[in-house]
Amino acid sequence: MSYEMIALLMFSSMMLMLLTGQRVFGAIGGIASIAAIMLWGTGGGDIPFSAAMKLMKWYPLLTLPMFIFMGYVLSETKIADDLYKMFHVWMGPINGGLAIGTILLMVLISAMNGLSVAGMAIGATIALPELLKRKYDKRMVTGVIQAGSSLGILVPPSVVLVLYAMIARAPVGQLWLAGAVPGLMMAAMFIVYIAIRCRIQPELGPALSEDERDVSRGEKYRLLLAGLLPLIIFAMMMVPFVMGKTSLVEASAVGALTALIAAVLKRRMTLAILVLCLKNTLAISCMFMWIILAALGFGAVFDGLGAVKAIESLFTEQLGLSPWMILILMQLSFLVMGTFLDDTAMLVIVAPLYVPLVGSLDLGMPRGDILIWYGVLYTITTQIAYMTPPFGYNLFLMRAMAPKSITMRDIYGSITPFVLVMILALVIVMVFPQIALWLPNLIYGK
Amino acid sequence: MLKAARLYVRFVDGFNRGLGRIIMWGIFVMAAILLWSSVSKTFFSPSLWTLEVAQFAMVAYYVLGGPYSIQLGSNVRMDLFYADWSLKKKAWFDAFTVLLLLFYLGVLLYGALNSFAYSLGHFTQEPFVFYRDLIVAFVTGGPEAASEILGFVERSPTSWRPYVWPIKLVMIIGFFLMLLQVFAEFLKDIARIKGETI
Amino acid sequence: APAVLSQEPIKWRLQTYAGGALGEQVTKPMVDYVNNASNGELQIELFYADQIVPTGELFQALQRGTIDAVHSDDDSMASPTPLRQFGGYFPFATKHILDVPVLFNQYGLADIWRSEYEKVGVAWISAAGQDPCNFNTKKEIKSVSDLEGLKLYTFPTAGRFLSKFGVVPVSIPYEDAEVAVQTGELDGMAWSGITEDYTVGWADVTDYFLTNNISGAWIGSWFVNQKRWADLPAHLQQLVLAATEAGHTYRNQWYWGGEARLRAKGDKLQLRTVPAAEWAQVEDAAKDFWKEIAAEGELQAKIISIFQEYNDVINQAGPPYNFG
Ligand code: NA
Ligand code: NA
Repeated sequence: MSYEMIALLMFSSMMLMLLTGQRVFGAIGGIASIAAIMLWGTGGGDIPFSAAMKLMKWYPLLTLPMFIFMGYVLSETKIADDLYKMFHVWMGPINGGLAIGTILLMVLISAMNGLSVAGMAIGATIALPELLKRKYDKRMVTGVIQAGSSLGILVPPSVVLVLYAMIARAPVGQLWLAGAVPGLMMAAMFIVYIAIRCRIQPELGPALSEDERDVSRGEKYRLLLAGLLPLIIFAMMMVPFVMGKTSLVEASAVGALTALIAAVLKRRMTLAILVLCLKNTLAISCMFMWIILAALGFGAVFDGLGAVKAIESLFTEQLGLSPWMILILMQLSFLVMGTFLDDTAMLVIVAPLYVPLVGSLDLGMPRGDILIWYGVLYTITTQIAYMTPPFGYNLFLMRAMAPKSITMRDIYGSITPFVLVMILALVIVMVFPQIALWLPNLIYGK
Repeated sequence: MLKAARLYVRFVDGFNRGLGRIIMWGIFVMAAILLWSSVSKTFFSPSLWTLEVAQFAMVAYYVLGGPYSIQLGSNVRMDLFYADWSLKKKAWFDAFTVLLLLFYLGVLLYGALNSFAYSLGHFTQEPFVFYRDLIVAFVTGGPEAASEILGFVERSPTSWRPYVWPIKLVMIIGFFLMLLQVFAEFLKDIARIKGETI
Repeated sequence: APAVLSQEPIKWRLQTYAGGALGEQVTKPMVDYVNNASNGELQIELFYADQIVPTGELFQALQRGTIDAVHSDDDSMASPTPLRQFGGYFPFATKHILDVPVLFNQYGLADIWRSEYEKVGVAWISAAGQDPCNFNTKKEIKSVSDLEGLKLYTFPTAGRFLSKFGVVPVSIPYEDAEVAVQTGELDGMAWSGITEDYTVGWADVTDYFLTNNISGAWIGSWFVNQKRWADLPAHLQQLVLAATEAGHTYRNQWYWGGEARLRAKGDKLQLRTVPAAEWAQVEDAAKDFWKEIAAEGELQAKIISIFQEYNDVINQAGPPYNFG
């Protein structure tokens, strides 16, 4: 059988199995196992297991449960209530101010955890009811929360970039820093959009009424202190790391424990909440790890059977595309796949094919820079994938957490302007790689 | 028949839930190892063992916690169509596609058994003969006779050089429990198709 | 129909310990030679470090036939033989790249290797030397005491030896070493000479190169699954052996020239040297290490005695065989 045939067969049967709705890791691992036993020859059946040994050796993966735990502690203990009040009081008086405040809240939450789940939970439980009560437009509100929380994977720390780093074999530290400026830029773009929209249509985000604005100056400044909490957690995690006292992986453990201690000190942590956090952390971590395990096995079989070579030669030789065309085509395919694929599945299945190719593209940049920049581009497409129907984590979470008055149609409708803003951000970072590369080169430049 | 299935599901669910509820505390074990690693290199001389022990802990965490995560339904499915199906239709599809998952777990388990035998110094033919010999020797001649069967016992290629069979044994146990759990899910699907609940 | 039915080519999967950039120089020439010269009868597909199985699992994969052939040192691939610790960099066993084939072909190591691997179901093909084991680090090393507390990526046995001087050896996948230096997980490497530092990008993330070494040449081998080797027609066996020798020749020149040129002209790493008189304590410690290893068994003692015999010869011979 030709390499092209094997590639097509493995890939299409995997997609078919995914469509049946079976667990993603089962579909990927099952197809990998069948291909290994039928096509490999002697010893093929050992490959799915050897992926487990590969996974074990990948040390940065330990950050995954740590950041997931951190996110659950932050969201389940409602430790962010004060933060929300701070923005509420300070931003309330302007049109759309509460929505802008929610974006800022999401930026702070993003700096304290590596996924979008915590931001979604906090946004949907704290911000959403308050905003609806203040007569904010429900589509505006659900869009703000979904878009804002997706910053969790772009603003450091980021679990998605840890997974990308594993596949691209690029430094996690640089990737995280590379996400910082684009993350803030995107947040600023959201804010600009909200401000303009609410200026034109004030009914979408009315300013707070006179009596609600009546908060004493002392109270206002006391609430500002709440903003210190994320700074403390961020500093506890990052200062020893930057000073070289902790490695990246150790820093994630420090971050998780700092969040836990903060919750205990604020008297928000009970045994029941702790058990809930632990249970959810185990569930989500296992979900990630088992998908990675299956995908590593799939990747090794796919590669060993020559299918990777077939794909590479398709892009570079047979289609004869220019480097930029290849890059744009990849982003477009990620955007399309992102609408119906889970991002982890997308990363572990497709990135191993794309990343070596991207690294070898002649874009007038060193290979190391390309891989870091591409990590940021990939993360932005993932953010978009979270929000685009039919398959998107943020969509599902919104559906699960939002009150009955918000329909599925509202949720789908809410994301359009924000997705457009994100695509604009994607294009900007694509055209100006320095937006991503400036900070890591500043810090790590030799 | 139904009674036996019920008993099986109750036992497997119960055991894996109990195990998962213990394993979930493992996050503190990992955090403690990592913290010790940074404390020891700041104040004393760095420890050789922390990196690998943390890796072992991570493997135990996700392999032994896996069955409980299946119970919790946290494993992502691509529910483009799946989400809109009736419970019965879901059960019908699952009952077939879960066979693929069972097959995968079987292959994983088989690989783990091979690798475990290798880590005890056995590398020719299938591992099962070796395991039989090992058990027979242990039963008839005790630990000494059993150690006669062992060959070169594998150590990790690091300076700390731990034996690797314990973590491979953990994986065997985890994959086996995962198989039991997925089979329990299969039984639940069959029951759902028949309109029963287990 | 064509009069002569062309035969299906024999296909091998070969995985090397080296990542892509290095493998291009140390492994690929042999593979290209076979693929070009075999007239389509034998095709080897090359896979780089960890591509199919992790390096630590290479041996098992080779025995079970998951992979047909391997290029690696005994140490990195966790060989289940007493030879394991002599592969890679055995402290101060050699001075130059050519010492390795001499030890194997003139002093009897080849016979020992062949028979030990036969016992564990693997065909040993050939061994060759590579670069010396120097240090490339972010922190400056000016004396032996600077080694204290350094987290270095190194070979298992070399790490065991260096821990006598306070080095903390770290084992991670080969392809992750560069990143680990950037994240602070590592202070550098005791893994190679300067050619490899430049080739794989380590020179971009570290600042200093220590010209002192703990061994003059890497010892690595080519292995084939026993059954696959036995099944190979005799003329193709000859071809594989010739290709391996050609690869050795290419590598000898690549390293020998690279080490000199990059030390003299390279601009990414600053050279540092610990005075020879002080470095002698490291060499003395190696003598104790040799005794420890020799005490482990008969075979180990035999190999150590061969190293001793050869070192006596080159010390009597004087420069260029030793450093004078
Ligand atoms: Na984040
Ligand atoms: Na989507």
